[in-house]
Formats: sequence, C-alpha cells, structure tokens
Amino acid sequence: MFWLAIHLPAWPLQVFTRGLQAPPPLAVVAPPPRGTILAVTPTAEAAGVRCGQRSASALALLPELQLKTRDPARETEALAEIAAWAERFSPRLSLSPPDAVMLEISSCLRLFGGASRIEQALRAGLTEMGFDVRTGCAPTPLAARWFARAGLSAAALSEPIADKDSDAPCPSDAPAPGPAADGTPEPEWMRWLDPLPIELLGDDGSCDAPTLALLAGLGLRTLGEARRLPAAGLARRQAQSVGRTLARARGELADPRPWFAPPSRFDHGLVLPVPTHHADALLFAARRLFASLAGWLQARHAAVDLCTLVLEHASLPHTTLELVFGAPSHEEARFTLIARERLAATQLTAEVSGLRLRADRLVHAQAGSEDLFGAPAARADATLLLARLQARLGDKGVYRLSARADHRPEAAWLACEAGCGPLHPDSRAARRAHADAAPTVAAEGLRPLWLLPEPKPVAAARLTLLGEAERIETGWWDGRPVGRDYYLARDEHQALCWVFHTLDAPGHWFVHGFFG
Amino acid sequence: MATPALRIAEDGRHDAPALPPGRDILAGLPAGSVWQAGRVAQYPQAVHPTGFSALDGELPGGGWPAGALIELLLERPGVGELSMLLPMLGRTPPDRWIVWLAPPLQPYAPALARAGVPLARLLVVRPERPQTLLWATRQAAVSGSCAAVLAWMPRIDNTGLRRLQLAAEESDSPLFLFRPDTVAGQASPAPLRLALAARGDLLEVRLLKRRGPPASHPILLDVRAADAGPCDSGTLADASLRSR
Repeated sequence: MFWLAIHLPAWPLQVFTRGLQAPPPLAVVAPPPRGTILAVTPTAEAAGVRCGQRSASALALLPELQLKTRDPARETEALAEIAAWAERFSPRLSLSPPDAVMLEISSCLRLFGGASRIEQALRAGLTEMGFDVRTGCAPTPLAARWFARAGLSAAALSEPIADKDSDAPCPSDAPAPGPAADGTPEPEWMRWLDPLPIELLGDDGSCDAPTLALLAGLGLRTLGEARRLPAAGLARRQAQSVGRTLARARGELADPRPWFAPPSRFDHGLVLPVPTHHADALLFAARRLFASLAGWLQARHAAVDLCTLVLEHASLPHTTLELVFGAPSHEEARFTLIARERLAATQLTAEVSGLRLRADRLVHAQAGSEDLFGAPAARADATLLLARLQARLGDKGVYRLSARADHRPEAAWLACEAGCGPLHPDSRAARRAHADAAPTVAAEGLRPLWLLPEPKPVAAARLTLLGEAERIETGWWDGRPVGRDYYLARDEHQALCWVFHTLDAPGHWFVHGFFG
Repeated sequence: MATPALRIAEDGRHDAPALPPGRDILAGLPAGSVWQAGRVAQYPQAVHPTGFSALDGELPGGGWPAGALIELLLERPGVGELSMLLPMLGRTPPDRWIVWLAPPLQPYAPALARAGVPLARLLVVRPERPQTLLWATRQAAVSGSCAAVLAWMPRIDNTGLRRLQLAAEESDSPLFLFRPDTVAGQASPAPLRLALAARGDLLEVRLLKRRGPPASHPILLDVRAADAGPCDSGTLADASLRSR
C-alpha cells in the first residue's frame, strides 16, 4: 500500500476564508465556555493576534477583527467534499478528521505517472476549489500524514520512494517484521521519520496530552529520540501509546482505516466572509463549488443537466436559482457560463452571505466518441447557445415555431418552448410533426412569411387585388369561428400582402400578413 | 450558378492554363491578399450560395460570405427580403440553429415549413431591452452553432455595428442585419450592404457596398418563384459550402 495524505493547515479557519485572495482580519475561536483563539489569518497575525489568546484581548489588539465560532459540522462537510472530489484519483480513500484526507494510491501510480504527478494535480485542483493544502506520501497512512503536516512532499523526499516502496509488503494488512529484526537496512522513508518533531504524536489523538507533556519533560524533541526509549520504561509510566503510534507509523503494527463512502447526491455550500451582492464576486465563489461538482461527477462517470444554486441571505428567505445546462454536462466551464447568465439576470433581494450547490438527478455521461470526420464539439455548442440564451432571457424570450393542422391562419402556428435540447431533425417527434403539418399545408393556397399579430384594418382604395379569393370558414366548434375571403393584394408601397374581408361585413378589409 | 473566371485553389495553385507573365505571380499569392482592380474580391472563408445566380454573380466570392456582417436595408418588412434568404435557410445543416432576433412581425410557421426551412432548428429570440438584443446577437454569432443569424435592429450605433462585425468575423456563419433604408447614406463597417425594394413582382437589389468595383446597376430577382414550393436547388443533405 502507498498512501497520500492531504493535510489542510489551519482547517477551522480555511472553511471561513475559502477562496479569498486577500482574507480580511479574521479569527476562529473555540466554542463559548473557553473562547480562546484557534486560528488567525495572516493580516490578523501581523497585528499581534495569536492562537491561544482570549477573544477579548484579541479584540483589544485589533478592534476590526472578525470573530467566528468554530464550526465542526462545516469542517466535516468540507472534508467530505474534498474526499468526493479526490475520488477521481483513487477509489480508496479515508477521512482522517479533523483535518486530513488519506488516499491509497498504490494501484493508480502507473495510471497517473507517479506520486508526484498525483500530488501536483491534487494541489492544483484543490487550489482551484479554494483550499490551501499540503500533501505527503508514505507506505503507511500515519507516516504520510506526518510528512504532509511537516511539509515533506514526495518531491521533497527523494522520488524513488513512490516507485520502490510501493511494492514493499503492505504494512497495514499484514504487519511486516521490523526492519531491524532481519538485519536489512531500513528504507529511506523511515529515516525521514526520525527528525520529525515530537508534537506529531498527538496529531490525531493517538497520544494524549499528559503523555506528550511527559516526553517534553524528558527533553525529547524528535520522533527518533522517542523511538529509542525503552518500551518497559514507557509502559511503567503509562505511555505505551508512544511505542504503538510509532510502530503504526513504521508499519510494524496494523493501522486499518475505514474507507470513505461517497454521498449519492451533491450538496455542498460555502460561506462568504463578507456578504455581497456583486454578481462577479458571487460567481468567483461559485466557481469553487462548480469545480468540486465537476470532480464529483467525473468520479461517477455521470453528468447533470440541471442543478440548484441557493443564494443564502442572512435574514431573508434564500434565493434559489435553477441552472439548466441544456444538455447533460460535467464541465466546469459550462456550469460557470450558465451561472454567469443567470446571476446577471437575477435581481437580488438582499446581500448574499453564503452559497450552496445541489445536484441529485444524475445522468449517465455519454462517453464522447470522436468522429473521424465530423466534429462532435459543434453539437455540444448548439445546446450551449440555447442554454445561455434561456438563462439570460428566460423561457419567454426564446421560443421555437411549430406548424399546426388548422385552417385558421392565426391558429396554424404555435410558439413552443425551446426545450432543453435541440429537437433533432431525425427524431421521431420531429418527423411526426412534419408529417402532420404537411398535408394541410399542401392543400392550402399561398401563405405569407410574415403574419401580423392582429389583423389590421385597411382602406380598400389602397389595395390592388390579385388573383382569386380563398375562403376560410371554420372554427365553429371552439368558440373562435372565422368566415373570411382571403386575397393576394399589392398595397401602395408595392408590398405583396395577404388581405381579407369577413363574410359578415364585406366592405371592411384587413391586412393579415406580408409575403416577406 | 455563375462561376468566376479565375478560380484559385486553396493550396495557392491556379488552375487557369495560361496567364501572362506577372499575373501568375499575383495568382500564386494566397487568395484574398492582393486585390486587382476590376475584379470582385474573393473571400478567404467559405461562401453560401444565395440560390439566385444573378445575385451570386455580383457578390464577391459568389454568395453570402460566411463570417461577415451583411446589412440589408429596406423601408418596411414585406418587400421580399425573407424570400431572398429562403434558399440558403433551406440548406441549414443538421445540428445548427437559424436564429431570428427581434423580428418586426410574427414569422409564419406554415409558410416557412413549406419553403423548406427546418422549424425544429429555428430559434426566435425576443429580448426586452436593446442591450440584451445586441448581446444575444453577438452570442449567437460567436457560438459557432448557427447556420445563419438574422437580426432586426432599427436603431444601432456605430460601436454596436463594429462589435457585430467583429463577432461575425469570429464565426463561420453570415450575420444578416436588417435596418431601415434611411441609414443608407451613413457609414458602416459591414463589408456588404444591400438595399432592397419591391418592384412589381420582383425584388430590386442594389449593392451599396461590396469588396470590389462598385456595382453599376440594380439586380432584379424573382424571389417569389421560390415561394411556390421547396426550393429546387439542393436537398438538406446537400449542405456543403462552396469554399475557395
């Protein structure tokens, strides 16, 4: 096994400052009974605010400091979001609360071309999602986590670690005999463990505070010094956990991890540190969520054709935007494009303090097969244009026309909703519609290309009638009967128009259309 | 359908057999880079045949230029402007839209279907504000998924025209802009401007501006002949463009 750990430094703070280029002075405090500061942004730190201070003293140092109470639920959710996104690299991963995600990548090394390639891709993707991450690799999960915390990436370690030791005996499945036992030299990565600081022992709660205090009291600074302590002596001082933790890190003791079970629907949010009503700022923040959604979809080989973006207001009911993508898509660029049009056309009732993105109706993604001659990309574009226009103008602003089998000119056409995708010309519905329309059209006389919304009265003296009358007398069954004689005519501007007079009042002429 | 006397193949070789010395140097240059007086310009991009040989013969390249803003100036709707475009609209390739933006009257579906225009791929867009209309026109032009874009803009300033021309240059489809004929005297960045008027049963087309020598006489087109039924030239499958 070979593990890659994603460590999120200052995690309680990151969930509040996610995606900000220049975070404002902000500090996260522990829940009320203690009220001490847990993490601060660099701007606040520059003003003298430190971790461990009381919130009152921090406010005295920096009056404009924003204080946020630590939100463990949000931290867990964001951790799950990262895990769901990172599934694109490996199906086997494990959450390591409070602030790390572990990936088991031994089976994917060859696919991605080595551990450092995966690390680079992970960092780039997570930075795009607005997270600040550190990564580390090792054959055991605990060592990987420690390397990540200490900032030793696979690139910083010597590269062969990823290739040589991935084939080493799997320590967490079957404890391998200690390297010292059979006299072989210990692998290089184990030597990198020794200089790490002793505080890492308490990292995920494996050693409690009294034990750490004991080790510090003994004057120990590094893990290597702790490893050389006699086990009997530690046991006598109730500190057996030190030996066990080190053994787990070195692969001498099994370290089973529960696998992460991905959620079946996407529902993630982020909080905006400063409420805003600027569409650009909202879009910038929403792009983090779209990147995450794209990764989540990619891991499932799925796509969505609509999702819901909820704009959370502090005191008013939330604004909900339905984003319709026109065609099933898993591309972040398309999500962003449609969201931009929707945000530009939306009137906000109040400033937005948080965003939430939901997607639950998954569609199986069509694997894009490239045509040797044609360009399948053009087909995708066609739905994109329609989706963009609909997002900006609404369903009323964009429509399609269809012909109906009716002799009344005003009832012979229909503005139908443009729908979510193009009605493919070869589709059965289109052919049927065409077949329906064809017989009536063929039986009728000439029809104008332009129809007036309402027939317009016109003086008979201005018209020159051409040809013979076409009588249309129908519609008695639905309460809108017409009885008209239609003529071709030329008006005083030489335009060819379609005029009629009603059978009830023969002297009154109306223009109904133009032969454009 | 008129074919120009000299045809320059895409790889720069000319297939006219004998040319005077000097001419072959000119002809050997990439198409469109050197214009010789007295010859109508050739467009580097594809052109869509209009369906009227008299008009094809006068238009540079022999058809509606793809990727250009084409202004059609007319006094009022109904002179025959749609009939002139029907042959081209009837040849819309599959998976491409025909977008009509802010048409002044209601396009009548039965007549369009009868003329061979695929209704399933015809989008009518009616934005509420002029800025949105300009935005939608540009999006339709640059999307690359439209066979033709038809926009009616009674009022548009020079900046807007310039933007539309740039958007059209990015695309591979013609962008037809319908404007009132009162603006015929104003300058415009559109490379092709046509004034349309009804003359009896015929449509009179005056070429106000084209790349090449100015057109001396108006062209009379019998556009109504195409109204009687689906256009004769080409089926839907024959959607290939003539490319120079």
